[in-house]
Amino acid sequence: MRCAECKGRLLCGLPACPVMTRFFAQLRLRPAREYAGTAPSVFLGSRGYPSVRGGPLLVDDTDLPPDWIARGLTLEEIVGIRAGTIRGRTLPGRQQEALREIALSARPLDVQVAFDRVPRFDLAFDGTVAPVGLTGEIRRMEVLGNPVVERPVERVTSDTDLGAGDACTLLHRDGVDVYRIARLFTAGLLGRRRRMVPTRWAITAVDDSVFRGLRRALLTAPPMETACLHEATLFGNRILCLLAPGPWRFEMVEAWGRHSLWGGEEDLVVVDGERERKHGYSPLTGAYYSARLAVAEHLNRLGRTGTVLVVRVVSSDYWAPLGTWVVREATRQALREPPVECPSFAGAIPVLAGRLGGYRWLEASALVPEMRSQRRLSDY
Amino acid sequence: MFKAAIDADIFREAIDAIAALVTECRLHADQNGIRTRAVDTANVAMVSMDLKKDAFKSFSATKDELGIDIAKMKNILGMVSKGDLMNMALPEAGHKLEMAFQNYKYSITLLDVNTIRKDPNPPTIELPGKIVITGEALNSAIRAASVVSDKIALGIDPKAQKFFMVAEGDTDHIRLELGRDELVSLSPVEARSLFSLDYLKDMGKVMARAPQVEIALGIDHPVKFSFPIAEGAGRVEYLLAPRIEAE
Repeated sequence: MRCAECKGRLLCGLPACPVMTRFFAQLRLRPAREYAGTAPSVFLGSRGYPSVRGGPLLVDDTDLPPDWIARGLTLEEIVGIRAGTIRGRTLPGRQQEALREIALSARPLDVQVAFDRVPRFDLAFDGTVAPVGLTGEIRRMEVLGNPVVERPVERVTSDTDLGAGDACTLLHRDGVDVYRIARLFTAGLLGRRRRMVPTRWAITAVDDSVFRGLRRALLTAPPMETACLHEATLFGNRILCLLAPGPWRFEMVEAWGRHSLWGGEEDLVVVDGERERKHGYSPLTGAYYSARLAVAEHLNRLGRTGTVLVVRVVSSDYWAPLGTWVVREATRQALREPPVECPSFAGAIPVLAGRLGGYRWLEASALVPEMRSQRRLSDY
Repeated sequence: MFKAAIDADIFREAIDAIAALVTECRLHADQNGIRTRAVDTANVAMVSMDLKKDAFKSFSATKDELGIDIAKMKNILGMVSKGDLMNMALPEAGHKLEMAFQNYKYSITLLDVNTIRKDPNPPTIELPGKIVITGEALNSAIRAASVVSDKIALGIDPKAQKFFMVAEGDTDHIRLELGRDELVSLSPVEARSLFSLDYLKDMGKVMARAPQVEIALGIDHPVKFSFPIAEGAGRVEYLLAPRIEAE
C-alpha cells in the first residue's frame, strides 16, 4: 500500500499517520468550539450529491492561490495555512443565504461561528481542491458586515436569465479571476437554475466554461509565427509549454517521477489531448483543464492560435497535493517567462527532449510523433 | 457582378468538398464559372474545386473574388432539399450575397478577401501510380482503417497488380487489397506513402458520393484524389502531404 493511495487511513498499521502528524504539528492555533474571524470562501463536499454538506472556510487568510504565490509562500507554509483552516459544515440546504453572502464578497467577511464540538483534524487530500485540515459541525453562524461586490459580479449574479457558462465567460472577460468565479459557482450564484455545486466540480466547470468562451477565438486566430518553449517550476511541478505554428491543438503529458506523490515505485505517464472539441472527461482530471485554460489565456492575449504541448513533470518535492491551482499557476508562470524560440514544432522537440533529459516522457505523446512525421505541402 | 441559378444539391456538394478542409476561402468567379483553391491551417492538405458554367441553370459573372465563410454556407445549405433551385446574386462592388431557395431569402455578408489566406501554389510533383476506384469503396476502406489506427499507408504492388491499404495501430493491424477486378483501373507503378487518417476521414465523407475517384500516388509523396462533381461539369482535387516515419 502506498501513502498516496491510503491518504492517512492508517492502512500501514502505524498508530498515527506520519504524513498527517506532520501537518498537525504545524498548527499554530489549537482549535476551539467557537470561531470569530474571517471567512474568505465557501467549501462544499461532493459526497452524497445532490444532498451535499458544506459551509464557510474559516481562516485568517485570503484563500487565493495567486496571493500565496505573490507572498512567496513555500509549500510547507501553504500546507500550514490549509491545515489550520476550518471547514464549517452544515446540514444540506441550511445557511444558504449566509454562504452566498460570503461567496459574493470580494473581501473576506467576518463571521461568528459556534461548533457542536471542537473541530476535528482530518486532513484529506484530493487532487483538485486545496486540502483543508479541520472540520467542524456548525451549530450557529452569524455573518457580520455586508458583502463588498464588484460591479461585473453584481451584474452577472443578479441576472437569472444568463446561463452559467456564459456567466463565466463574461466574468472572465471583465477581469474577474477564475478563483473568484469558482467561488460564485460553488455557492450557486450563477446561471438560470441556481444550486450549490461541490467545490471540486465547480473548479473544473469554471476552467472548462471559461476556456469554451476563448475557444472560438482560438479556432479563427492566425497561427503563431515561430515555436516558443516556455518553462517554469512551482512546488516541484515543472511545466514546459511548447506553442508552435499550426491550428489549435492541445496535448498534455503528465509525468509522475519515481517516488513522487502518485508515482510510487515506478514512473507514471498520463496523456490526453484534443482538437476542435474535447470529448469526455480527461484522464488527467482537473489539471488538464487548468493547464489548458492558462494556455488559452496566453494565446488570447497574443491574438494567436497554435499547436500546444504541455509537459508536467512532478518531482518528489511536491509532497502534498495542493489542488489544480498549482498547475494553473505554474503554467501561467511558465508563459510569463521569456521563451526559447525554435523554427517549428518538430524543430523544438530535440530542445524539449534535452530539457527533459531524453525522450522517455515524450514516448506516450501522440502529438510528438505526428508533428515529427507529418510533412507539409510546402515541403514539396 | 455575379448572378447565377443552380441546383442547390450540386452547390452543396461543391461547398461540402471545400468544408472538409477549410472554414473560409476565396471564391473566384469569371465568365466561365467559379473556382477556389485553399490549404488547411496546418498546410498539410489542399483542396481545389472548380464548377463550370454548365453546372449552373443560368450563369453570368464578371471577374471577381468573393470571400466565403464556408462553415456558415455549409449550415445554410444543410436546409436545402433535393431539387431545390438556388438563386444567387451579388451586385457590382457589393458585399452582400443574396441567396434564395424555396421561400428563404438570405443576405450573406461576405468576408473581406484580404483577411483570407492567399491562394496557395500547388506543388510541382510527379505522382506516377494511378488508380481509379469508386468513392464508396475508398471511403469504406478509410473508415475501416480508422478503427485501428490514426494513419494509413496507401500503395501499389506492381507485381501483384494490386492497390493496397495498410493501417497499423498499437495492437491491431488491417490490410485491404484490391485487384484489377475490383478497381476501375490501375497503373502498375510501385508506390507507397503514409497518411494521417484525420484528414482522410473528412475527405472520405465527401468522396463517398463520387462514382469514380482517381488516386495518384508516389513513394513518400503526397497523394492526389480527383473526382468530378455536378455530373462532370465540375471537378474537385484534394492533395494531402504524407507522414514520414523517422527511423
